Amino acid sequence: MPDIKFNVKRVLWLMGIGLLFLFLPRFLPRFYVYLTALILLTGLLATSLNLVLGFGGMYQFHHALFYGIGAYSLALMLTKSVLPAWTGFVVAPLVSAGMGYVIGLICVRLSKLYFGMLQISLGSLVWAIVFRWYSFTGGDDGIHGIPLPKMLSASHGAYYFTLVVTAISLFLMYRIVHSPFGRTFQAIRDNPERCEAIGIHVRQHQLAGEVIAGFFAGVAGTLFVTVEASVFPDLMFWTLSLEILIMCLLGGWFTFFGPMLGAAIMVTLRTFVGIYTEYWTLILGIVLMLLIFFMPDGVLGKILKSRAQATEARG
Amino acid sequence: MLEFLSHISLSSLLQQILVGLSRTTILFIVASGLSLVLGVLRIPNLAHGSFYMIGAFLTYSVAAAVGGKAGFWVALAAAPLGVALISLVMERGLFCHLYDREHLMLLLFTFSFTLVFGDIVKIIWGSDFRSISTPAVFQGSLAVFGLPLPRYNVFLLVIGPLVALGLWVLTQKTKIGKIARAAAVDREMVGAVGINVSLVFSAVFVIGCFLAGLGGALVAPTQNITQGMDHSIIMEAFLIVIVGGLGNIWGALLGALIFGLTDAIGILLWPQFAIVFPYAVVVTILMIRPKGLLKSTW
Amino acid sequence: MKKSFWMVVCGMLFISLTAAPLIAADPIKVGIVDCYTGPPSTYTNDVRDAFKLATDKINAKGGVLGRKIEFTTRDSKFKVDLGLSAAKELIMREKVNLLMGTINSAEALAISDLCKTEKIPLLVTFSKSDAITGEKGHRYVFSMNENTSMAGKAAAVALSKKPYTRYWIGGDDYEYGHAIADGVWQNLKKLKPGVELLGQTWWKVGESDFTPYITAMLSAKPDAVIIATGGKNCVPFLKAAETTEFNKRVPFYMHTATELSTLQPLGLDAPEGVLGTSNYFFYYPETPENKEFVKEFQQAFGRPPKVGALYGYITAAFIAKAYEKAGTIDTEKFIDALEGMTVDSPVGKLTIRPYDHQVMLPMYMGVTQKAPGYDFLIASDIVTISGEDAMPSIEEIKKARGQ
Repeated sequence: MPDIKFNVKRVLWLMGIGLLFLFLPRFLPRFYVYLTALILLTGLLATSLNLVLGFGGMYQFHHALFYGIGAYSLALMLTKSVLPAWTGFVVAPLVSAGMGYVIGLICVRLSKLYFGMLQISLGSLVWAIVFRWYSFTGGDDGIHGIPLPKMLSASHGAYYFTLVVTAISLFLMYRIVHSPFGRTFQAIRDNPERCEAIGIHVRQHQLAGEVIAGFFAGVAGTLFVTVEASVFPDLMFWTLSLEILIMCLLGGWFTFFGPMLGAAIMVTLRTFVGIYTEYWTLILGIVLMLLIFFMPDGVLGKILKSRAQATEARG
Repeated sequence: MLEFLSHISLSSLLQQILVGLSRTTILFIVASGLSLVLGVLRIPNLAHGSFYMIGAFLTYSVAAAVGGKAGFWVALAAAPLGVALISLVMERGLFCHLYDREHLMLLLFTFSFTLVFGDIVKIIWGSDFRSISTPAVFQGSLAVFGLPLPRYNVFLLVIGPLVALGLWVLTQKTKIGKIARAAAVDREMVGAVGINVSLVFSAVFVIGCFLAGLGGALVAPTQNITQGMDHSIIMEAFLIVIVGGLGNIWGALLGALIFGLTDAIGILLWPQFAIVFPYAVVVTILMIRPKGLLKSTW
Repeated sequence: MKKSFWMVVCGMLFISLTAAPLIAADPIKVGIVDCYTGPPSTYTNDVRDAFKLATDKINAKGGVLGRKIEFTTRDSKFKVDLGLSAAKELIMREKVNLLMGTINSAEALAISDLCKTEKIPLLVTFSKSDAITGEKGHRYVFSMNENTSMAGKAAAVALSKKPYTRYWIGGDDYEYGHAIADGVWQNLKKLKPGVELLGQTWWKVGESDFTPYITAMLSAKPDAVIIATGGKNCVPFLKAAETTEFNKRVPFYMHTATELSTLQPLGLDAPEGVLGTSNYFFYYPETPENKEFVKEFQQAFGRPPKVGALYGYITAAFIAKAYEKAGTIDTEKFIDALEGMTVDSPVGKLTIRPYDHQVMLPMYMGVTQKAPGYDFLIASDIVTISGEDAMPSIEEIKKARGQ
């Protein structure tokens, strides 16, 4: 995975993109600003999954659980507790991280498919409790009209908040991936037995990865509440977990920004295809099939690969 | 919660157990098909639920077309075959090219079929309410322990063990069964001995999907046939298979029993959280024995 | 040079395309969010179809204030999150003047909340939770159908006359289920203080197999059962009731049990002897208005109208009349005009109560029964309760809103 060199061209690129996002609300209609915010937080969620999936090689089949937990934690704190709103924003990701720890503790003993399936069963258990605890979580109805701090419900307040939080989170995750911990993590993905042999505590690293991934998924959950002011049990249903997996695959799971691209494509397609036809799931299914057959490295992966080949050819 | 307990007599508990057991039949049939495919082909087939749903819808169509008293019986024979045919096309056309990819890819590929089939069913059958009546011979109920048990549920109670027996004979006593079991353990060896592993995979896949279709056909008279059936059954089936041990038919039966009974008893004791009981039991078992209760083929 | 030429052409094209609509009189845009997938579609298709029938008629006569009424639908699949995103998209992207829908009460409440923030009127069709115009009512939401308070009152009147004292409640574990159960039970207790609630069973919306729940309820041996199912479960539950002979073993009441939308899908397999409340029958009352409506609908769509058709029809009537009275498409004036408005309908004159924006529909109590000449069950022993009598009092609404 190529390191990003700190050169002028890159910095200008990033600044350009940053300015674009900053001034987006000025020239885009409300609906598209809302959509962009949705893409940002979904991309954050997908990137958090890819931490353990693409970089860790772990079969994280129920990542949506941490997302949903984060969202519900914030929602419940905002609607049921008298603590100031900002505590909710801090506590919610921590709850998700905590859940990551608990689930990780139970699951990292296993590998591959067993890890994934046990995670799904644990996640389904939590989902079932949230789904049926009507008096506390609102059950199937979900929770709506969540009161947000004035700054966030002001026009575009939610968008800017999402933008800032996503940018910071991405930056943090990027640093983690490129840190010594991150490199060890990737080494574990490639060859766990070898790592054990040279004394690396594979399970502990994986557990730490779970906690971090869970934390950022929880952050994405709080952003969801900010943008939508609602939560529903579907936020932690297994089909959403698979959708996030697809986003990582679509964008390219061996790259850092691939999942964000995947999320952007999915959310945009879903919104616009959904307007013209009710058979969005059919389209998604076909896209996924084509993807697996022809572009297993994802869109970004393919782009990077062909650029690498081009530079090689130029020699 | 205590108010419920005061109304529970031994007879109602026994009766509820019978209801649970009849639901177990469907769960077992579907889960066994999934277990077969998982054990031999190592593919977690998420589209299994879709085949179940298609089985139910096909049953509806055939029963409606044939009509009259024989309608359901013809459908019961035809629908699973139809599902098997679709699965054969799917496997030969697309699946077999991906056997060398990683599991995650295969899983996602089967998920793509779930998505596609879900909408195709909607396109073909529309989104209106569909239901078929219980076959005439099973209408009405028997008084068991003083409470009504629908006759059709009794039928299911009988069918379940029959299918289990049939599967046991198939896997233990027939040649193809033995080959399939060998391929589950060591596919390279089987190939080296000169057997076309690809064909074996095909056969197992089709049989597994046939079972899904059969489950769908059997469940059709008891509930409304609708989109969403695929999602609700697949997670349950997966959990049952994992609890029982991947690729183990008896494990699937055991898992289905656990699931069906805890669900039914849960409804009697604590209806609001009934859905939680099976999941809680499954999770507990998996934490103690992560590879499932009985031996798995992996 | 060539590049800039094309840019100018594109720019002009763009301007002309966006400016064009400004020249003609904009239509009144209505966005309908509803569930058109699965069992609920038997209820919701009629709403949309009757709305189309009515608006086609209005548009043919020149529309409202010289504008046509246009509508677009979005399928929420009975899921709250899908309905909410669809509502957001309709408001922010399609820029609708009004929203209409939906059959899922929880969804209606969520959308109502959105409409309050966005200041877009929501005309609720089919959702019956009394929280919609009661506890969570506000200026921008109106209900075009009866609510659980009204149905509950009507049901309680009928049930209090029966000899049952020991009841069980079984229902869908969501907003509507709880609301209707409460509506019936609270009113029943007031009319007959001796009734006893033995217990409750709540199953999930979209439950596929009711057998274990039915056997569990029967084991408690109640005198009667109140079944609180909503759009998704009504029809499946009745089917299960027939299969398990639930209706023969214990009498039960279900709101909308006597409605054609509920009974038609089951044909002659529907259970007999079920008590039910509903708002519309195409066969009763046999007034000229009703007969005319039935004929028009039958001609247009090849089937008799069900209660959803009534809702769709009166919604169109209310929209048209309110805009005419307001004389402008300004939202606030539209709302002012709509409060207290009366329209003609197949079931007589209907008025929207200004305080809570609730239409005062009459309720009909009946029992399901087979009848010669029909291949579905119909309601018999019909008792009518007028809209005004069924409505909750304004004091009760005030209390619910905490005022």
